[in-house]
Amino acid sequence: MNVAPSRSMTVGARVAMRTGWSRRTRQERLVYKLLLPVFGTVFVLATIPFVMAVIEALTAGSRGFVGFDNFATALSNPLLFESIKQTALYAAIALPVEILGGLGVALLVHRVVRSAALRAAIYVLAMIPIVIPQIAVGVVFRLVYQPDYGILNVLLGRTGADQLLWLSSPPLAMIATASVDIWQWTPFVYLVLFAGLQTVPSESVEAAQVDGASSWMQFRHIELPYLRPLLLLVLFFRLADVVRVFDHVYVLTGGGPGTTTQYLSLYIYRIGFQFSDLSQASALAVVVMAAMTIFYTIISRFLPADRG
Amino acid sequence: MRRSRRSTRIATAGLLLGIAILFAFPLYYLVVTSLKTKAELFAAVPSLVPQALNLAPYSSVLFGRGFTGLLVNSVIVGLSATVLAVLVAFAICYPITRLPASRRLRGFVLNWAMSLRFLPPIAVVIPYFAIIRTIGLYNELPALILVYTIFNLPLAIWMLRGFLDEIPLELEQAALVDGASRWQAFRSVLLPLSRTAILAVVIIVFAFDWAEFLFAFILTATPQAQTFPVGVQGLVTQFEIIWNDMAAGGVIAIIIPLTLMLIARRHVMTGLTFGVIREK
Repeated sequence: MNVAPSRSMTVGARVAMRTGWSRRTRQERLVYKLLLPVFGTVFVLATIPFVMAVIEALTAGSRGFVGFDNFATALSNPLLFESIKQTALYAAIALPVEILGGLGVALLVHRVVRSAALRAAIYVLAMIPIVIPQIAVGVVFRLVYQPDYGILNVLLGRTGADQLLWLSSPPLAMIATASVDIWQWTPFVYLVLFAGLQTVPSESVEAAQVDGASSWMQFRHIELPYLRPLLLLVLFFRLADVVRVFDHVYVLTGGGPGTTTQYLSLYIYRIGFQFSDLSQASALAVVVMAAMTIFYTIISRFLPADRG
Repeated sequence: MRRSRRSTRIATAGLLLGIAILFAFPLYYLVVTSLKTKAELFAAVPSLVPQALNLAPYSSVLFGRGFTGLLVNSVIVGLSATVLAVLVAFAICYPITRLPASRRLRGFVLNWAMSLRFLPPIAVVIPYFAIIRTIGLYNELPALILVYTIFNLPLAIWMLRGFLDEIPLELEQAALVDGASRWQAFRSVLLPLSRTAILAVVIIVFAFDWAEFLFAFILTATPQAQTFPVGVQGLVTQFEIIWNDMAAGGVIAIIIPLTLMLIARRHVMTGLTFGVIREK
C-alpha cells in the first residue's frame, strides 16, 4: 500500500514540455470539446436540486413566494438545535474511540505482526464491517441490543446482572447507536492508518531505535508526522459522515426514545416526510448543503488527496 | 528482557484476537439466527450455535415475502447506474488525464466531484423528491438509476482518475506517432490497459449502489420499485419482528457487496479514501 505522492505538474504540462507540441491549443480545445457535454450535463443534474431546494424554501405551496419565512420557521424550532446537540454528542462519543482505537490497533499490528499472511488476513477482516450495507448493520445490532431477544441481554441474564433497555432508555440508546458507528468505522480508521505506517521509511525507524528512542518517541517524532495528513482525512470524512447518519439509527431506534437519537438527518427526514412540511425541510436542506459546502471549502486545503 | 518481550508479544496477540472476536461476533450471531427454526426462536435462552442447517427463513424471505422482486430491482438499478456512472466518469477522466487539460480545469472537476461526497443524502433527496414527482418518475426505477448515477460519480471519477494517471502517456503517444488516430489510440492502447481498473471501479460502485437505502426509501413506495435494503428495513421496523426472517434478509443484503468487495479487495481502500491510499 502506498500514499499517493503529490505531483507538482499536471499531465498536460508534462505532455507539452516533453513533446513541445505546436498543436497545443488544438489539443486544449479538444479537452473542452470532450469534457463539456458530459461534465456539463452531470454538473447541471447535480446542481438542479440545490436550485430547486432554494426555490422550494422561498415558497409555500399555494401562498407562493414567502421570502425567508420557511427559514425563520426552520431555524426557530428548538428541536433543530436539540438534534444538532445530539448529533454532536454522537460524534463526541464515536469519533474519539474510532480514531484512537484505529490508531492503537494500527500501531500494534504494525509493530507486533510480522507475517505477511496474517497482515493480509487482518486486512480482509477489517474490510468486512465497512462494506456491509448500513441497513444490514442495523439488523445485526438489533440482534445485539434488542431487550428481550438481543444477545447482550441474554449474556447479562446469564451472569445474573440486570437486563438493560439498550434501545429505549435515553443515554443507553445514544451509546448503542454510537457503538454501531464505532463497530463499523474503527476498522476503516485502522486500515487508513496502517497503510500510512507502511510509508514510514524503515531507515528512520532503525536510526531512532539505535539511538535508543522509546516506543512513544518513535511514534511521536517519526511515525506521527507521516500519519498527520491521514488523521485529518479520516477526521474530515468521519465528520461529514456523522451528518449523514440515518440508516442504522432508523432501524434501531427510529430516532427515539423521545428525541434522544434524532440526529440531524433523521430530524430533517421527520420534518419533510413525517410532518410533510417540504417547504421547511427544503429550507433545512439548503442550510445543510450550504454549511457542508463551506465545510468542504475550508477543509479541502488540508486534504492530502492529490487534487491538481 | 527477552522473556518480558515475549510475554508482551503474547499479550498483544491475545488483545488483537479479543478485538477480532468482539468485532466478528455480531455477524456470527446474525448468521446463526438466520438458520433458526420457529421452535428455536421461542427458546427461553437463544442458542449461540446453529442447531441445524435450516434454510426455511431464506425461502420465506425470498419467496414467501416476495423479496425476489426487490432483489431484481436492486440488480437492475445497480447495474444500470454502475454502467452509466463508469461511462460518464471515463468520459470526464479521459480529457483531464490523457490530454493537456489545464491544472485549474482538472482541479475544478476533481474538487467538484469530491464536494458532492460531503452532501448528506437527506438534504439532496428533498429537492429530488419534488422534481421526481413532478416529472412522473416517483416509484419508478429510472428515478433511482438517475440519482445513483450522479451520487456515485465522485467515487468513480476519483478512482478512475487514479488508475488512468498510472498508465504512461508514452504508450498512446507511440501509437499516435505511428499514425493512429486519437480514437484508435484510445481503442487499441488505453482501453485494453485500463480493463482491470474499469472492472475494479464497476465492482465497487455496484456494491455502493446495492447498499444505498435513503434515496430508495424516499423515492419509491411499492415493491414495484423498492430495492432490497428497503425490504430489509421493513422486516426490522414492523410491529412484531420475525427474527430468523429478519436475520436471513440481513445475510442476503450483506453477502452480495461482501463477495464483490472481497474480489476487488485490493482497490476497496483506494475507493473509500478517494485515491489517497494506493495499493501497489
